[in-house]
Amino acid sequence: MKNLPIILSVLVAALVIGGAVVFSQKPDGSGQVVQNVSMEGEKQVIEIDAKGGYSPKLTTAKAGVPTVLRLKTNGTYDCSSAVTIPAIGFRKNLEATGVTEVEVPANVAQGTLEGVCSMGMYSFSVKFM
Amino acid sequence: MDTYTFHVQGMHCKSCIALTEGELMDLPEVTHAQSSLKTHTVDVTGEFGERTPEQVAQFLTEPLKRHGYSLHLERQGHQVRWGDFTYAIPIAAVFVAIFIILQKLGIVNLAGSGEMTYTTAFVIGLIASVSTCMAVVGGLVLSMSASYAKEGEAIRPQVLFHIGRLVSFFVLGGLIGAVGSAFQLGGTGTFVLSFIVAIILLILGLNLLDIFPWTKKLIPTLPSSFGKGVRGLKGTAGALTPLLIGAATFFLPCGFTQSMQLYTLTTGSYLEGALTMFIFALGTLPVLALLSFSALSIKKMQTGVFYKTAGLVVIFFGLFNLMNSLVAAGLIQPLISF
Repeated sequence: MKNLPIILSVLVAALVIGGAVVFSQKPDGSGQVVQNVSMEGEKQVIEIDAKGGYSPKLTTAKAGVPTVLRLKTNGTYDCSSAVTIPAIGFRKNLEATGVTEVEVPANVAQGTLEGVCSMGMYSFSVKFM
Repeated sequence: MDTYTFHVQGMHCKSCIALTEGELMDLPEVTHAQSSLKTHTVDVTGEFGERTPEQVAQFLTEPLKRHGYSLHLERQGHQVRWGDFTYAIPIAAVFVAIFIILQKLGIVNLAGSGEMTYTTAFVIGLIASVSTCMAVVGGLVLSMSASYAKEGEAIRPQVLFHIGRLVSFFVLGGLIGAVGSAFQLGGTGTFVLSFIVAIILLILGLNLLDIFPWTKKLIPTLPSSFGKGVRGLKGTAGALTPLLIGAATFFLPCGFTQSMQLYTLTTGSYLEGALTMFIFALGTLPVLALLSFSALSIKKMQTGVFYKTAGLVVIFFGLFNLMNSLVAAGLIQPLISF
C-alpha cells in the first residue's frame, strides 16, 4: 500500500489536534448557574466580563424588556476589548479597565443577541426568552 | 559553438530566471544563456567540446544542483512530492495543536492589570505574539519567510520586514500619541482587511504546498524586479516590498495592537506614544523572528518537508482568519469560540 504513510500521518495529525481541543477545554461553566442578570428599576442589567474572551458566554434573560449590557474590562488588552454587536450596530474599543454600558431597546431584546470581538474568535450570546 | 535547449526541473519562480542564467553564464564554457519561466526551459550557447547533449546537460546541472534545479533533454512532468506530506502533516498538526492549546488555556489573561509601564507593554507584546494575533501577523511572517527562502533569499527580506515593523510602530505610535486620535478602521475596513489577509495567506499557503502549478500565477507580492535582486540587488523595489509589509502590520487586525494604540492615545506625547508602541512591537519580535528565520535553520534538512509544513500552517491560519472575519462581520455564526 503506497498511501499508507500518508493515511497514518493524517491520523496522527487528527489525533494531535483533536487531543489539543479536548484536553484544553476550559470549564465553560455550563453546569453552574452564573447570576449575571438583575433588575435595576425598569431595566434589566446583564453583566459580562471581557477578558480573554467573554464570561459568561451564554446568558438567558427576559425578552421584551429594556436591557443594559454592562461590559466589564479589567486589564483587558486582547481582542475581547474590541466589541462588536452586529444586530444593534454597536462597535467600540473598550478601555483596558472600566465598565461600558450598552443599551438594548425593548424591541431588540428578542431572540438571540450575538456579540463578537473584532477579530471574531471570542463571542458571547444573550438569549431572550 | 553549439546551442542547446534544456528543460529545467525545479523552475518555479521569477527569480529562478536570473539565478539559472547567472549561474550558467559564470561558467567559462558558456557564452550565452536565456531562461524562460513560461516554458521552463533554458537556451544555452557555448563551447562544450566533444560532449554529447546528455553530458552537457549533466555538466550544466552541476552548478545548479545546490539551488535545486536540474537540466534535462526531455520535458519533465510536474512532480508533486507527496512523500513530504508524511512528515509535513503531523508537524503542522503539532504546531496547530500548540496554537489551539495556548488560546484555550487563556494565555491572554496573563496580560497584566494595573498601570501600563514599558515593561507591561513588552509583556503584552510577548503574549500578543502567541495569541490569535499570531494567526494574522505570524501567518504573514511565516508565509513570507518560506516564500522568500524558496526564491533563494532568506535573511534580507526578513530583516527588512522587522525593521519596517519596528520603525512604523515607533513613528505611527508617536503620531497617535501626539495627535491624540487613533487611525482605527471602521467595521467595513477591518472586515475588508482581514478578508484580504486571509485570501493572501491561502494563496501563499497553497503555493508553498507546490501541488497546483497555477497558484504561482496568483502571487502578487513577489514581482520579478525582486527576482532580479537575488543576484546583486540594485533596484529598491525588492527591498521595499518586505519593508512596506512590515510597516503595514501596524494596521492589521489584532486586538492587542488595537488596545495598545488606544492606550497610546491617552499618553498625549509623541515620545511616550512612540516608545510604548515600539516596545510593544519589540515584545512581539522574539516569536515573530523565530517564525521568520525558521526557514534558515531547517534549510539543511528536508526543505520539501519544511515548505509543505509551512504551507499547511499558513493555510490553517488563512482559513482561521477567513472564518473569523466572516463571524466578526455578523455573516456567519461563530463555529469555535475560545
